[in-house]
Amino acid sequence: MKFSRKTLGIPYALFLLLFVVIPLIVLFYYAFTNGQGQFTLKNLIGFFTDPNTLGTLFYSLLIAICTTLVCLLIAYPVAYILATSKLKKKAVIIMLFVMPMWINFSLRITALKEILTLIEGNLAYHPFLNSVIGMTYDFLPFMILPIYNTIAKLDPFLIEAARDLGADERKAFLHVTLPLSVPGIVSGISMVFLPAMTNYVVLDMLYNSTYIMGSLIGSYFSAYNWHGGSMIALVLLGIICVFTLLMGGQNEEDARTGGAVL
Amino acid sequence: MKRIIAIIVALLLVAGLFLSALQPLLAEEDEVVLRVCSWEEYIDLGDWGEDEVIDLESGDIFGENSMVDDFEDWYYETYGKRVRVEYSTFGTNEDLYNMLTLGDVYDIVCPSEYMIMKLMAEDRVAPLSEEFFDTSNELNYYIKGVSPYIRRIFETHDINGVTWDKCAAGFMWGITGFVYNPDVVSKEEASTWRLMENRDFARQITVKDNVRDTYFAAVGALKHDLLTSEEFVNDPNYAMNLQDEMNDVSQDMIDQTQEYLQGIKNNLYSFETDSGKADMITGKVVANYQWSGDAVYTMDQAEEDDYYLNFAVPEESTNIYFDGWVMLKSGLSEDPDKQHAAEAWINFLSRPDNAVRNMYYIGYTSTISGGEDGRIFEYLDWLYGAEEDEEDVVDYPVGYFFTEDGDDTDYTLTVPAEQLDRQLGAQYPSPEIIRRASIMIYFNEQQSEVINRMWIRVRCFNIKNVPIAVWILLIVVFAGAGFLMARSRKLKKEI
Repeated sequence: MKFSRKTLGIPYALFLLLFVVIPLIVLFYYAFTNGQGQFTLKNLIGFFTDPNTLGTLFYSLLIAICTTLVCLLIAYPVAYILATSKLKKKAVIIMLFVMPMWINFSLRITALKEILTLIEGNLAYHPFLNSVIGMTYDFLPFMILPIYNTIAKLDPFLIEAARDLGADERKAFLHVTLPLSVPGIVSGISMVFLPAMTNYVVLDMLYNSTYIMGSLIGSYFSAYNWHGGSMIALVLLGIICVFTLLMGGQNEEDARTGGAVL
Repeated sequence: MKRIIAIIVALLLVAGLFLSALQPLLAEEDEVVLRVCSWEEYIDLGDWGEDEVIDLESGDIFGENSMVDDFEDWYYETYGKRVRVEYSTFGTNEDLYNMLTLGDVYDIVCPSEYMIMKLMAEDRVAPLSEEFFDTSNELNYYIKGVSPYIRRIFETHDINGVTWDKCAAGFMWGITGFVYNPDVVSKEEASTWRLMENRDFARQITVKDNVRDTYFAAVGALKHDLLTSEEFVNDPNYAMNLQDEMNDVSQDMIDQTQEYLQGIKNNLYSFETDSGKADMITGKVVANYQWSGDAVYTMDQAEEDDYYLNFAVPEESTNIYFDGWVMLKSGLSEDPDKQHAAEAWINFLSRPDNAVRNMYYIGYTSTISGGEDGRIFEYLDWLYGAEEDEEDVVDYPVGYFFTEDGDDTDYTLTVPAEQLDRQLGAQYPSPEIIRRASIMIYFNEQQSEVINRMWIRVRCFNIKNVPIAVWILLIVVFAGAGFLMARSRKLKKEI
């Protein structure tokens, strides 16, 4: 057998087939069939007419939006300061932000639970706030790193040029640095927003008893309703696809036009 | 020289691969494989510390090796045949059912009574053999040792006309109630399902995150007045009426429970699957809806920190539950060797010393009372009996569990009075509590679906509750994002 580069791709193709394509087919099959294995659109209609799924979708979106906003508000200044400052020990500070990721996620949330209990007293009074704090704590590095990388790679001469042309610091930031760091923001958002919609473990561990999408799917499965659960998963997949396409479109445009628009 | 070493290593590797590939083939000849699936942390894994010896008068009981290893050795010594146990675990009854439906194959599993009923109704369970019930065989520890109380329940409950005892052998059993902190909550307050709605303990009580348990508790709270009325309690048909009331799944009742649960949701700390025990010990909550076995575990753990918790059983009714071994048709596939090993597995776990080991290790109560073997009662006395110089002691009858007629005075413990509200009261409930224990039957598919929908409604966010401020915030966020995107596009076009 002739060894070519394509041969190297075989394991990858196999992996894709086994763990992406086949599960997707199964998902589609369950989502569009009923208990007797007949084709039905009932699950799809059920999703958009059931106040429970809609309420849960709303709640998940709310949590995800808040988490993303908070992450962005914290991460951007941090990344900006780190990337532009002349600090000698920058690497150490970056490390401090990334290090929590080396520790197991549920351990971190357990620790956070104790800290929040110290501050708030009784966690049960602020379930929504706690969920957002937990998710932010969990996902913050995913927001900082891409933004930091983009800003750090910016050509410093661009800023200098802007300053030479009479822009003050605020203007230079708003018209040069910020637009050029959009790709970093976009990838940060997609790494935070999507998991925040379904990561119900954080809610469970921080005593938020309201379902989000992940827990709702679980509750369907434990009631043996795989068809309804699969449909929820599928719709969620659809939402994520649309979201990614929108974001991706933005990114490509930026790449084409060269990013900074003055 | 290096070459030779390399060749030898390579050869050894190849040989090793071959041998490991051949091993299952070689082993199959004279070995029975028994695939067991049970609850997590539901069996003695051995490795006890030396200070943990249970030194009964009839001999020490000590968990040196895991129960699984001990069974394999015992089976070989007793029947001269090798058995290899593949032991797996599940987290909830529903998980087990899903695993089975998706094609996992087990020979013997240990679900709760309602799941046993479901599996029996679906004809997935293989009946126990006649030899299993032969009391003249010394090795039939289960039938010789099972508590008459448990046996009676298994013989008088059926699904589609088949009584439980034909197919299932009880392993552990228990009741439900509240573990509570006696410094904050009084016994009276904790002895009702209405504790969940008690405003004095707002957001300080956790409840099980599972539809059956919460449904039972809600029904108990809603029917409080009826269930505690003199007339109802003194009715000659009390036991039967109680079971009917507690298993009320009429639409009206389901609607009421939904309203009740939605109402108390904000009075609770949370619905929990596993965190309740730890939160009780660390003092985050003052009461926790708990299964008696886990309650014993919680109290034991707290005691290690010199922190004393109590257990109360609601006066309305308590849910008595069983976990039992059933053999699955799909696993056994009519292989008599497998069935023999499976039944031997049940019997081995039912041997009184092994029952004691499991109880000691996991905190739950074994269905075994020992029959002629006195070691279970001896263990109870060893564990809970009062010291000779203790003053505040009471007599505690457990005859209902150990004997046929129930009031044999031989089975009365003398225990410290405080134990009534503590581990003993949870592990071996008093006869008064047993009187108000009700089984929760298996609901058929339509009923389950309605109840599950109710539960989802309780847990889901109600979109009608969204305050206007949030809608405005959302509109602002989306409008802002849209505006920014549009603006950046416009700017690009201009260039």
